Amino acid sequence: MKRILALILTLALVASLGLVSAFAEDELVDGKFAQTRHISVRLFQRGDNVPEASPFADYIRKGMLEKYNVEVEFAVGGRWDDEKDLANLLGSGQAPDICYTYSYSTILNYADMDGIIDLAPFIEKYKDLLPNLFNLLGEENVYWDQDPDSGKLWALETRLVNNARINTFIRKDWLDKLNMALPTTKAEFEACLVAFRDNAELLLGADAERMVPYSTSYDIGWRNNNLTVSFIPDAISDEELYIHGYDDRQQTQPGAKEAIRLLNKWYNEKLVWQDFALYGSGDTTEDDNLKAGFVGAFQHNWDYPFRNGEDSIDANLKRNVGPEAAFVAVDCFENDAGLHRKYLGSTVDRKVCFPATNDEVLASLLYLDFISSPETILALQTGTEGINHERAENGAYMMKVVDSADPNYQASVNNIDFTMTCNGQYLGEYTDVSLAYGYAPVASELVEGAYAVAMNDGRVPGHFSLPAIEAEVGVGTTLNDERNTFLNKAVTASVEDFDKVYDEGLANYMSIGGADIMNERAQKLQEATGYVHQD
Amino acid sequence: MRRALAAEAVAAKAVRKRGGYSWGTYFRRYWTLYLLLLLPIIFFIVFRYTPMAYILMAFKKNNIIKPPWQVAWAKDNGFEWFIKAFRDKQFIRALRNTVTLNLLDLVCGFPAPIIMALLLNELAFKRFKKVTQTILYLPHFLSWIIISGLALRLLADNDGLVNILFKKYSGNPEAVIPFLSKENWWVGSYIAFGIWKEAGWGTIIYLAALTGISPELYEAAAVDGAGRFRRMWHVTLPGLRPTIIVLLIMRLGYILGSEFDRPMAMGNTLVTNVSTVLSVYVYQKGINGGGQFSLTTAVGLFQSVVGVLFLLGANSLAKRFGERGIM
Repeated sequence: MKRILALILTLALVASLGLVSAFAEDELVDGKFAQTRHISVRLFQRGDNVPEASPFADYIRKGMLEKYNVEVEFAVGGRWDDEKDLANLLGSGQAPDICYTYSYSTILNYADMDGIIDLAPFIEKYKDLLPNLFNLLGEENVYWDQDPDSGKLWALETRLVNNARINTFIRKDWLDKLNMALPTTKAEFEACLVAFRDNAELLLGADAERMVPYSTSYDIGWRNNNLTVSFIPDAISDEELYIHGYDDRQQTQPGAKEAIRLLNKWYNEKLVWQDFALYGSGDTTEDDNLKAGFVGAFQHNWDYPFRNGEDSIDANLKRNVGPEAAFVAVDCFENDAGLHRKYLGSTVDRKVCFPATNDEVLASLLYLDFISSPETILALQTGTEGINHERAENGAYMMKVVDSADPNYQASVNNIDFTMTCNGQYLGEYTDVSLAYGYAPVASELVEGAYAVAMNDGRVPGHFSLPAIEAEVGVGTTLNDERNTFLNKAVTASVEDFDKVYDEGLANYMSIGGADIMNERAQKLQEATGYVHQD
Repeated sequence: MRRALAAEAVAAKAVRKRGGYSWGTYFRRYWTLYLLLLLPIIFFIVFRYTPMAYILMAFKKNNIIKPPWQVAWAKDNGFEWFIKAFRDKQFIRALRNTVTLNLLDLVCGFPAPIIMALLLNELAFKRFKKVTQTILYLPHFLSWIIISGLALRLLADNDGLVNILFKKYSGNPEAVIPFLSKENWWVGSYIAFGIWKEAGWGTIIYLAALTGISPELYEAAAVDGAGRFRRMWHVTLPGLRPTIIVLLIMRLGYILGSEFDRPMAMGNTLVTNVSTVLSVYVYQKGINGGGQFSLTTAVGLFQSVVGVLFLLGANSLAKRFGERGIM
C-alpha cells in the first residue's frame, strides 16, 4: 500500500515538476519556505527519558518553524542499538529524513543499494545557504568521506570538539589509606594493584572477598587502551596507523600483544576482575561493582565516572563509601619514548546521512545549518538558567543536577544527542572555563584533572582521503565480536598458554576478514601516496 | 471415549459415501467446515507462503530496499552467496556448532521426557504426581533471558553461588569449576539447562499417549508374572513407540534449525567458538548492522532445504521399519 502510495506521489511529483519548476528554484522566499515543509530527524534516546518531549526538542521545533517554516518531527531510537536500528530503518524504508550514526560502514552498505542520497551536488548548490554548517564542520569534515574517484559524498562528518578519549582511574582514598602515592609508571601502577589485592581486609572489611583490584570488561581493547597504546612504538607512522585503523581499539598494531600479555599476567595473579568475560554489552554488574566501591582501578572513557549526575559512579561512591572516596585519573602508562601517549579522536565524530526516501533535501540541510549555529548549540547545551545551569563570576556555565524524570534532564553529556553536528562542549569564549563544571554534582577539580590527563601527550592520527574500502562493507559486528573473543580468551588463558591462544586468535581474526581490510587499505594508500606497508 | 469412537465411525462412513455424491452436494453439506478452515488457510498464505517469494533474495545482489524481482542476479549464476557462505570460516563454524549442539540435545534431551514420563506414570499417589508435574512444567515458562541471568548468578567463576560454596567447602580457594567460561563445560551447562527447561513440558505428550494404553495389557502382563520394570519395558514403551517415532522424525527435521535466544543469551565472549550457531550467525551478518541480507537468506534457505531432506529421510526410514511415520 505504502509502495503504491509512494509511486502515485512520485508520479504526481514528476507531473507537477514541469509546472512548478519555475518556483522550485526559488523555494525560499526571504530565506523561508513559502509553504510549510515537514522533515523527520533521528534522535538518540538513553535510558527511560522522553527526549522528544523535552524543552530542547521544543526549542528546535520552534526555531525551525520560525526561521525556515519547516516542521520538525523527531524519530527516537536507542543510542546503544544505533547501528542495527539504523540499518533496519533504512532497510524497511522507514528511516527519518536526517540520520546520524557512528557506523560509516552501515551507510556505505546502504549507499551500495541506492538507499542513500549523494550529498555532493546538493552541498555544491546550496553551499551559500549553509554558513553555520560550514563554519562548524569546516571544509575538511564536510568533504571527509568524499570518494576521490567518483566524487560521491554519502555522509557529512560532524564535528568532535572534545577529542579526549580514554583515561585510567584509581581510588585515591585507598592509596591514601595505604600511604601510597599516585602511580606515575606501569610498575608503580602494578604495585598499587598488588597492594589493593593484599590489603582487601583493610580496604573492604567484611566485603574483602568482593575486592577487584583492576576492573575491565569483555571489550578488552577499549577498556585497556592506555595500556595497549603504551606498548605501541612511538615512531609508528600515520600511514601505518591508517592501515591498522579499522580496529579502533588498536589491537592489530605492533606491540599490542605485549599489552595483552601483561594483562594476562595480572589476570592470573588475581589482580583483574575474574568474571569480566562472562558479562556482555549493557550488563550493569561492573558498574555496580564500581559504584559499590569494590574496585581499585579501571580504564574507560575519559569522563566515565562523572557521567549521569546523581547516578554517576562518583556520586554513588560518595554515598556508599564516604565523601573521601573518589576515582582520580592517573597518567602512568609510559611508552618506548617515555611519553604517556594517547590516541585522540580526530575532528570527526558521528556521520550524518540522508536516506533515499528524503524528498526534502534543502529543508534537511537547513536543519543541519540551524543545529550548527553557535546560538543553537549554546541553548541546547546549557539549557535554562536556574534549572540547567548557573553562571559563575567569570562567565563559566556551571551545570546543575537535574532529576532524570525532569523534562529538562540532559541524558547525554553536553546534550550531544540533540546537537547532532557537534560532540563536546561548544560555548564559544566560555568553553574552556566551563568544561570542569559540566558534570554536576562532581567536583570540578576531578573533571579538570581527568581532562588534562586525557589530553596529555595526545596524538591525532592523520587522515587520508581514499576510496571506500570494499572489504569493510557488510562486516557488521562480526569482526569486532571475534576480536573481543580472542582477547578475552588470551587474557583468561594460563600464562603458559598465552602465546598459543593469542596467536591462534589473531590468526583467525585476520583470516575471517581482518587481513583483507588491511591489505585493501595498504593497497589503496599505496595507489594514492606511494607509501609501502611495512609488515 | 466410546462416544468419540462412534463419531469417528460416522465420519468414516461419510467419507466412504463421498464417492457417491457429486462435489456440489458434498460442499453444500459440509461448507461450514471448510469455512472454518478458511481462516488458517488465509493465515498460511499471507504469513507463510507469500513471504517465500523473497527467497529470491538468496540469488540476487544484496539489496533490501528494492523488491528482489527488480534486483540483478548475483554472480556465479546466482549462487554467489552460497559459495561465499561455504568459503566463510565463520559460517562453517556456525554450521558445525549447530549440528553438534542439536545432536547433543537430541542424544541427551530427547530421552529425558520419555524417562520422566515413565517415572511419573509409576507414581501411585495422584496428588504427589500432580504437584511434581506442575513443578516440572514451570521452567518451560521462563524465557532464556531469565535463565541466562540465573545461570550467571549461580555458575559464574568467581561470584557465582555454586563456586562460592565450592571454594568454601572444598577448602581450596583456587578451585573453581568453569561452568560458563571453558568451552566444554559451557556445552555441558547449555545442554543441562535445556533439559531442565524443556524436559518437564515434553512429558505432557507422552503422558497423554500413556493414557491410550489399555489397562488390560498391564493386567495380562501382571498375570504372566511381569514385575513393574518388565511391564514398563514390554507394555509402556511399545505403547509409546508411535509417539516417540513421530517426535523423533520432527526433531530430525530440525537438525539444522536453531533457536536464537538460547545460544544468544547463554553465550559469552569466551565461548563464541562453540556457541555461535546459524541463527546467531544470521543475526550478526544480517540484522545486527552487517546488512548482508542476500547471504543470510541463502543460509536460511540452505537450513530449510537440509531440514526437509532430513525430515523426508527419517520418515521413509521409519516407514521401512514398519512404523506409520508422519506422512
